Amino acid sequence: MSTIVIPVIIGLAFGWSLHKAGMTRYHKIVNVFRFTDLAVLKLMMAAMVVGMGLIYTFVGFGWVTLAISTPVYVLGNFVGGLVFGVGMAGAGF
Amino acid sequence: MSVLSTQKDDVQQEPTPHSNWFMTQIRKKEWSPYAAGTMLGITVALSLLLAGQLPGSSGSFENLIAFLGTKIDANNIYFRFIMPAGITWQVWLMLGVFLGAFFSAWLSHDFRWRKMPDKQWISVFGTARWKRWLIAFLGGTILEIGAGIAGGCTSGLAISGGVQLAPAAFLFIPGMFISGIITAAIIYRKNY
Repeated sequence: MSTIVIPVIIGLAFGWSLHKAGMTRYHKIVNVFRFTDLAVLKLMMAAMVVGMGLIYTFVGFGWVTLAISTPVYVLGNFVGGLVFGVGMAGAGF
Repeated sequence: MSVLSTQKDDVQQEPTPHSNWFMTQIRKKEWSPYAAGTMLGITVALSLLLAGQLPGSSGSFENLIAFLGTKIDANNIYFRFIMPAGITWQVWLMLGVFLGAFFSAWLSHDFRWRKMPDKQWISVFGTARWKRWLIAFLGGTILEIGAGIAGGCTSGLAISGGVQLAPAAFLFIPGMFISGIITAAIIYRKNY
């Protein structure tokens, strides 16, 4: 049960905040690459700063263990990012 | 040119304000990205606390398409070992993301069926619908291949990895922005 209910609830909050930040709009995504609307960057940085603070607080209390799912593979991570960016700027997703 | 730089056109006037602050926020079409980002950061941290894992989007599509992929080639290494077919945690998360965005759009009267994006697309690429759909499909495919190579997407790697200070995230983010900026410069040419 919790393997379904919890991800759906987390997803609700996730999708909600993405829509409220305007991430469902083509121009919001593309304009970050044109430096005319930095909402994507603001959202990412705000989420990362808040998330980092909370997660490392939880780690400090020993409540969670980090769950890094992507191993470091310098070329793969970087080249994957390069390919990803082409699709993102083209489609605006 | 000025049309391109400020795109507020599709954000119609805000719905009538409510006396209740909470309802006003719920019905707003757009929040400050800092506010939405704060909510996202809290969500990501709670996800690790409650579920022991972090949200990601691109993987769920791979888990789903793996049902088809393993039908075509049962020995495909990627679908056998890296992204096996299954209704995984991430797939349920994706359902939640869909519903969350839907409720947000619906409650702020922003929900409607769209066949084309807003004015910016039309002013650059014209009104041809096939063009948008083709580029959306190709772009989505390229994006998913990139996410497959890198091991995550904007949410699953950049944000979920970044909050844990995973080095992979900080290799992915510059790559994504470098090629995104170049791609945007190429497709927008003189309008960039």
